[in-house]
Amino acid sequence: MNIGEIGAIIIFFVGVYGVIARRNITKTVISIGIMQAAVILFFVATGGAGSTSAPIGAGSTSAPIGAGTDAADAIPQALMITAIVIGIAVTAVALTMFIYLYHKYGTTNWEKARKMREDE
Amino acid sequence: MSIPLWAPILIPVFFGILTYTLPEKIKKIVAIVGAGTTLVVCVMIFAQTTSGPMSLSLGGWDPPVGIMLFADRISSVLITLTSLLFFSLTIFEFGKKHSKRTFYMLFLILNGLLNGLFLVDDLFSIFVLIEVSTIVVALLIMYKRDSRSMYDGLIYLLVNIFSATFFLFGLAMLYKQTGTFSLSLLGDIITQDMPALYLPFAFIMTSVCLKAALMPLFSWLPRAHGTPSSPSVVSAILSGLYVKSGIYLFLRCQNAFSAIDTQTFFLIAGIITAIIGFVFAIAQSDIKMILSYGTVSQLGLIMIALNTGSETAMWGGVYHIINHAIFKSMLFVGAGEIIAEYKTRNIYEMKGVFKRMPLISAAMIAAILGITGAPLFNGSISKYLISQGSNDLVGDIMLTLINLGTIVLFIKLSRIFAGNTGVKARVPANRAAVCVFLGATCLVLGIFGAPIIEFLFGIQVKIDTAGYIQKSIIFAASVVGAWLIYRFAVRDRAFWKRVRAFDLGFNKIAMSIVLFFVVFTAYLYFG
Repeated sequence: MNIGEIGAIIIFFVGVYGVIARRNITKTVISIGIMQAAVILFFVATGGAGSTSAPIGAGSTSAPIGAGTDAADAIPQALMITAIVIGIAVTAVALTMFIYLYHKYGTTNWEKARKMREDE
Repeated sequence: MSIPLWAPILIPVFFGILTYTLPEKIKKIVAIVGAGTTLVVCVMIFAQTTSGPMSLSLGGWDPPVGIMLFADRISSVLITLTSLLFFSLTIFEFGKKHSKRTFYMLFLILNGLLNGLFLVDDLFSIFVLIEVSTIVVALLIMYKRDSRSMYDGLIYLLVNIFSATFFLFGLAMLYKQTGTFSLSLLGDIITQDMPALYLPFAFIMTSVCLKAALMPLFSWLPRAHGTPSSPSVVSAILSGLYVKSGIYLFLRCQNAFSAIDTQTFFLIAGIITAIIGFVFAIAQSDIKMILSYGTVSQLGLIMIALNTGSETAMWGGVYHIINHAIFKSMLFVGAGEIIAEYKTRNIYEMKGVFKRMPLISAAMIAAILGITGAPLFNGSISKYLISQGSNDLVGDIMLTLINLGTIVLFIKLSRIFAGNTGVKARVPANRAAVCVFLGATCLVLGIFGAPIIEFLFGIQVKIDTAGYIQKSIIFAASVVGAWLIYRFAVRDRAFWKRVRAFDLGFNKIAMSIVLFFVVFTAYLYFG
C-alpha cells in the first residue's frame, strides 16, 4: 500500500460520512463527489506507484504492460477518464433535479422535503 | 448469417435517437419498428447460442486488456425476454399522447442498456452501464414532473450513485489484486478462498445487492417503481426487468467469486427479504405500492432459489425471473389502466373492475394466478422447482409461508374486481392485444413448463406428477388459510398503519447501505 492508496481510503470514508451525516442535499451531492475523487485517486495510485513515467509519448514503449518498462499501467488511467466524465454527468443531473425540487419545496433539507412530500 | 453481439445493444439506441429527430406521427411507428428489429436480432442470437456460447472482443483487444461481450444460454434468453417486453410495451403505448419528445428516446435507450448489462463481461463496462441506466431511469421516473416524483427521483438517483461508487471502489481494489476486470477471467484466477479479495468483494456485492433490492437495501425500490408520475409501462419495465439485471449481476459475480462461500448469508437475507416484502405490501392501500412491495418479496424468493446450492432450484430461480417479468409487467400495465379509469390509486375506492374492464381484469387475474403459484400457471412450475431444491422440512415450511403471504396480498388486491358499478370502459385494440398476450403467456409458460425450460436452457427438469399434485393441494389449503388470515388478522388497523408509515429518509437509506457493507465484510472475515 502506497501513500496514495491510504489517502484515497481515508478520503473515501470522509465522503461516506458526509452522505450519512449531512441533511443538506447540496452537501450530499458534494460528498458523493468526494467519494468519486477518492476512487480516482486510488486507481491512479495503484497503476503508477513510485517513479514511473506517464504511459504516453517519449519514454513509454510499445512493450506489453508490466514487461520491464518503467511506464505506469495505462488501463487505470484510461478508465479514470471515463469515470471522471460519468461523474460530471451524474453530478449535473443530480443538481438539475435538486434545483427543480428546490423550486417546488423551497428547502435544501432531506427531512423537510420528505415531510412536505408526505403531506401532499 | 451471423449476428454480431453488439447489435442488440446499439440497434435500440440508434432507433431511440432517431425517434427524437422525427415528428410525432412517424416516431411512434419508428419506435415499434426499432423495438421489433431488436427483438428479431435477439431471437437470432438466441438461435446461435443454442449451439454454444458466443463471445466478441471489442476492437480486437482480448481480455485482460480489452472488453469482451459474452452470450450464453441464460444471457441470450434474458435479452430476448427484455426485447420482447419492450416490444409489447411499445405497442401498448402506441395510442397514448406524450407531452415530451424524449419518451421514446429514453425508453429505447433503456432497452439497449439492459441488453448491454446482460451481455457484457467486463466489470468496468458494467459500472458504466449501471450509471447511465440510473440516469435514464431517474428521468423516466420523474417523467411527468409532479413534485412528489421529484423527491422520489432524486432519492433514487443519489442512492444508486452512492452505491455505484462503492462498486467502483471495489473494482479499484480488485484490479490491484488480480489485474483484470473480466468476469470470466476472474473465475479462472480465483481458485481458492483468498482473504485479500474479501474487501473488494464486499464493496462490489453491496452495490449489486442494492440493485437486486435485498433486505435491508430495498427502501428505494417501492418509491421508484410506485411513484405517481411515471407512466405504467415504465413501472412495468422497472419492476419486471430492471431489477432482474441486479439479480443477473449477482449470479455472475457469485459465479466468478465462487471460491468465496456466501450462500448461507444470502439464503438468510433472501428469506428475510421475502417475508418483509409481503408484510409491507399487505400494509399498503395504494395499488402501485402493493405491486412494488410484492416485487421485493418475489426478489427474495429468487434469491433463496439461487442460494440453496441445488441445481434444480437454481434453474427454478432463473425460470422465475422470466415468469415474474411477465406477470409483474402485466399487473403494472393493468393497474395503470385501472388508475386512469378510476382516477384514484386507492384500492378501497375501486369497485366493480371486472364489470367495467372485463378483458384487462381477466388478464390481471391470470397474472395473479401466476404470481401466487396456482396450478397450471407459470408461477407454479418455478415454485415447484425451487421447493424441489430445498428438499427438507424447514425449507418447505419457509416457502409455503412466503407463498401464503403472497396469496394474502393478492386476495387483498382482488377485492377490486368484485362489485357491480359503472358502465363498460373502452379499451383500444392495441392495449387489449398486449394484455391478452401477456395473460396468455402466463398460462402457456405454466402448461408447457418442462418443455419450455428444455428449449430455452437446454437442460431437462423432471416435474413429478404426484409431487405437483401434492403442491396443488398445498396451494388450495394455502388459499383457504390466506383467506382466513385476511378476514381476521388484516383487520388490525393500528398495526398496519404503523407498518405503512415506516419510511426511511435519504440519510437512513445511506446508513443502511453502509451497515450492510460492514455486516457483510464482518461475515466474510469471521463467519
